[in-house]
Amino acid sequence: MSALQAPRILPSHLHAFHPSSAHSRTVNTVRLLGTVTALRGETAIITCGNHGDVTLQLKADSHLQMGKLVEVVGKVVVLDGGQALGVRVLGSMDWGNPAECGTYEWSHRFSRPDIFQPIHCRETPPTYFQNTDYRMYEYVVDVTHRYKKIFYDSND
Amino acid sequence: MDSGYKGYSTTSFGAQGMSSGGGFMPGESNSPAGARSEAVATVRPVTIKQVLDATQAYAGASHQIDGADVDKIFVVGQVRNISVQSTNITFKIEDGTGEVEVKQFIDLNDNMDIDASNPTAVPLGKSQVKLNGYAKFFGRVVTTGNRRNVFSNFARPVTTVNEVHHHFLEATVIHLYFTRGPPQKPDRNPSGAEAGTEARAPGGMGVTDDYGVAAQGRPLPPMSPGARKVYNLLKNEPQSNEGLHVQYIAAKLGVPVTEVVKAGDELVTGGLIFSTVDESTWAILEY
Repeated sequence: MSALQAPRILPSHLHAFHPSSAHSRTVNTVRLLGTVTALRGETAIITCGNHGDVTLQLKADSHLQMGKLVEVVGKVVVLDGGQALGVRVLGSMDWGNPAECGTYEWSHRFSRPDIFQPIHCRETPPTYFQNTDYRMYEYVVDVTHRYKKIFYDSND
Repeated sequence: MDSGYKGYSTTSFGAQGMSSGGGFMPGESNSPAGARSEAVATVRPVTIKQVLDATQAYAGASHQIDGADVDKIFVVGQVRNISVQSTNITFKIEDGTGEVEVKQFIDLNDNMDIDASNPTAVPLGKSQVKLNGYAKFFGRVVTTGNRRNVFSNFARPVTTVNEVHHHFLEATVIHLYFTRGPPQKPDRNPSGAEAGTEARAPGGMGVTDDYGVAAQGRPLPPMSPGARKVYNLLKNEPQSNEGLHVQYIAAKLGVPVTEVVKAGDELVTGGLIFSTVDESTWAILEY
């Protein structure tokens, strides 16, 4: 059961889901959302909004692409030779261009000015919409750990 | 729902469940039985963990999540396996909170264009749900033996990550609604709320609002749905200053005495009600 749970987290929560951590015995698989900012063969780095970077240990068939927003499911591990924690990737999901994520609906609606004509912006969606998606993820992470009961099993 | 309880208590309890005798254990009378036929059609966004944790009073009863009956549900998850059988397609989906099998029965009238050589293309062609992609499923929770499944009527792929996140936030809001009551409205005029309560009160049980404001219009602290029901009954039921007895409350609400005692303890601890003539008679604490 617990093996199938992978709570959504931000880089600052990695330590809590490392196997050595006391309260993580039930779950040490996590989900992370970030933009791919470096690809180095067997490892990659994703940037999680303004919450910092996470180093990923890739598996052979994880085809990450630079600049794409990805959701990664993986195990929290200690990186080679360091104190730092990273994630060994078990699976990844490409959500496309991060800038488009918040504007998907908008771009669709913009093609129909007859039904949707915002007064404050005619050509391009406002920037706050382009950034909304990661804020939403932050809220999801927040409620995941605030109301654990409906998200994952925990000892506390 | 209330009429469901009433119908149940008059037919099965006979003497309104007030008689202490009889071979009927109060613990066996579960409200879902009464509620089932009256179950309101609702659609509730849930996490897979909530589906797996859903409780069932007995085999065949409606499932409950956070103490509330669930009818239809929405789940959003990543499809980890698709297996096509002659009568149904089984999706194994996972959303980070758990894993569950979703069965979608094939409507034979709807699938005239079945391509036997490529069965996976057939029903999926309609919904476009892909392996390892996210999808939103609409269906109901089904328990067969000790297996918990979702029987889905409808599925569609989720194409933006925002929708996934939205689903979890929505599920959380509904979870909090049922465990802590609706969000408080700070701008609500206390006297107006009081007037509203007065207006509803004469109807008694039949129009009892499950989620209300405390006496004198104060917002209620967070409490379990059971405690809320008991509180609302105590608030609205005509009574002497001795309050109401546990047995009476249990009969009125159509729930087991043990549940009422539990709810009462919670309310006593919270300082919302107090015991009057004996330990099992309570009245609202007007503070």
